Amino acid sequence: MLIESILTLERSKANIEGGSKKRLIETLAKIFADNIENFKVDDVYHSLINREKLGSTGLGGGIAIPHCRFETKGETYGVCVTLNQAIDFDAVDSKPVDIIFAMLVPENAEKSHLEFLASLAEIMQNQSFVERMRAAKTDEDLFQVITQKTG
Amino acid sequence: MTIELIYQYIFGAAILALLCIVASVFTRRIGAPILLVFLILGMLAGEDGPGGITFNDFGLAFLFGNIALAIIIFDGGLGTQKNTFRVSLKPALSLATLGVVATAAITGYAAHLILDLSWQEGLLIGAIVGSTDAAAVFGLLRSAGLELKERTSATLEIESGSNDPMAIFLTITLVQVLQLSGEGNQGWTILIELVRQMGLGLAIGFSGGYLLSRLLKRLSLPSSLYPLLALAGGISLFGITTLWDGSGFLAIFIAGAILGNTPLPYSNDIHKFHDGIAWLSQIGMFLMLGLLITPSHIIPIIVPALAIACVLIFIARPIAVFFSLLPFHFPWREQIFIGWCGLRGAVPIILALFPSLAGLENTQTYFELVFFVVLVSLIIQGWTIAPVARWLNIEVPRTAKEPECLLLTIKQEHDKALLIYPVLTGSHAVGMSPDRLPAAEGSQILGVIRKGILLENIKREKLLADDQVVFLATTDARDTLGRAFAPAARVSSLETTRFFGEFALNPDAPLQDIAKAYGFEVETDSPTATVETYLLKQFHGKPVVGDQVQLGTVKLVVRDIKDDRIVSVGLKLGSVTHE
Repeated sequence: MLIESILTLERSKANIEGGSKKRLIETLAKIFADNIENFKVDDVYHSLINREKLGSTGLGGGIAIPHCRFETKGETYGVCVTLNQAIDFDAVDSKPVDIIFAMLVPENAEKSHLEFLASLAEIMQNQSFVERMRAAKTDEDLFQVITQKTG
Repeated sequence: MTIELIYQYIFGAAILALLCIVASVFTRRIGAPILLVFLILGMLAGEDGPGGITFNDFGLAFLFGNIALAIIIFDGGLGTQKNTFRVSLKPALSLATLGVVATAAITGYAAHLILDLSWQEGLLIGAIVGSTDAAAVFGLLRSAGLELKERTSATLEIESGSNDPMAIFLTITLVQVLQLSGEGNQGWTILIELVRQMGLGLAIGFSGGYLLSRLLKRLSLPSSLYPLLALAGGISLFGITTLWDGSGFLAIFIAGAILGNTPLPYSNDIHKFHDGIAWLSQIGMFLMLGLLITPSHIIPIIVPALAIACVLIFIARPIAVFFSLLPFHFPWREQIFIGWCGLRGAVPIILALFPSLAGLENTQTYFELVFFVVLVSLIIQGWTIAPVARWLNIEVPRTAKEPECLLLTIKQEHDKALLIYPVLTGSHAVGMSPDRLPAAEGSQILGVIRKGILLENIKREKLLADDQVVFLATTDARDTLGRAFAPAARVSSLETTRFFGEFALNPDAPLQDIAKAYGFEVETDSPTATVETYLLKQFHGKPVVGDQVQLGTVKLVVRDIKDDRIVSVGLKLGSVTHE
């Protein structure tokens, strides 16, 4: 699996302010909308928030993978951010979250897209990988850490 | 008996016990049932083995056997937790009553055909081998490092605790029927006997258990006498019930369960003491039974005994389990496992002594036959339980170990205790501010001790490894506190994820919304059905942790349950792991 196929440097943000869960999702929606044509902040925000209402996407260990289906014309898009201070995300283990990888999958999400999500979840539980992400101080560092792991 | 001889006996017995305890280490390594080792050591020490000890006193064996059984069953009662009754009480009781009768009837019929005995004598053999041994099963699972779904483990546990009285009752009744054969109406005799045994057992068990718990709360004793008071009380109840022709084993089991579920001063001590003494009873009883048997006498009955054992294991038990569990809709994998977990232990061998003491004929054959059946069951089922559990996929990931904490029960405040938890490196508590600890209702934090000194302003501090945190809490709060202080999990989070799935869902999330989000279709009774109502329906109102439903490419897995409500559900995405 290639994370770089869904992530770009513009959509990797290291060491940013998280605020609250709601604020963070707004930030994520904004990053998506700023960098992808025809994506509206509000649409992305509501889709992600509606998914969160079904249950937190916090995996535990300080990591969250907010995701939802979206009109992406068949593409899968990712946004990766790390926070300067961990925030409460209602994660399974109730630990605050500081690494977030958001994912928008196509409306006609087939099995392969869910598998993509599952393998992302597995990669994000690799301790040393996560530590390197945490240590990345600039957007470039973060993007490099992620693409090295999977490239 | 000369003084010299007495000391020889003492030395011999102690050496045997020592050997048993040391041998238990090795059985753990090779996965053999520990009881089998005790039995074989006893046989080796006996008349046909190198030990050459001749022990043929059935009366003495019966006396010790009864005491040992009473203690083991009492300990089983003490360990029976009320919260396991939620999913398992009714199925377990069905197995312990209907199941025992069905097992006894089928095995008995087979014995009647194979050994060419009268139907009463055949049934007697069926009744003798009717009960299962939980201690054996759980010892094996624990040493294999397996944790089972609660539905299965609790059912097996309660079943084996409560089916001994039924098997004992059937045996005693059949012995009486055989003694009276020809006189009066046997149907009536059996029925009256049943009512008397069960009725007295229940009545004395409940009332005696209640009185005993009152006594334990009221009496002011040196702390080491509480466990002894419990034991002496339990055995007194056993004695008086059997004297009045009631089921003493039922009474002592119920009394144990009452004590085990009442907050008592020094209840920890009581549990520990009985655990130890139950082990001693197991060792002593199996050694003694190994000594009592003359292995060379078994040889002629090996073929019929093997046939009966096979009927019991492969036909009688599975059929009995199937019918007893029919109303409870157990998943088929769990049903097969319960069917396979029909390990026979000491109870049948002790029961096999009944006929001889009652003066019936053929008694030596009964004893040797039953002994061999138990041996076969211990070998075939005992050795394969862990692999079968793995093969059937009914394990759940081990939960984080309950952390060691110092517990002081406060006299007169039986539901409150002082708890002192050490903060372990790697636990959730490290780095938390003490007032942010997940304090359950009714628990108060009293202070934090760091390097032997009580911290002054705990609100401004963050917990460090090796701090000690003192709470005043109810026993219920221990669950929540335990989680925060649990040592770093031995199971990796990846393993938990593989089992419960990557994400958690709110139980009250509408199922149709989830279906939309993950592209599957599902039929629900109403469009507003939630994850919880759907899962409750799938598992007939009694879900347990680890139950799962496949929907499209995702799986819903029950993660956590509190008081019959699902509080957390896992969502497992399509499997991509290379397993």
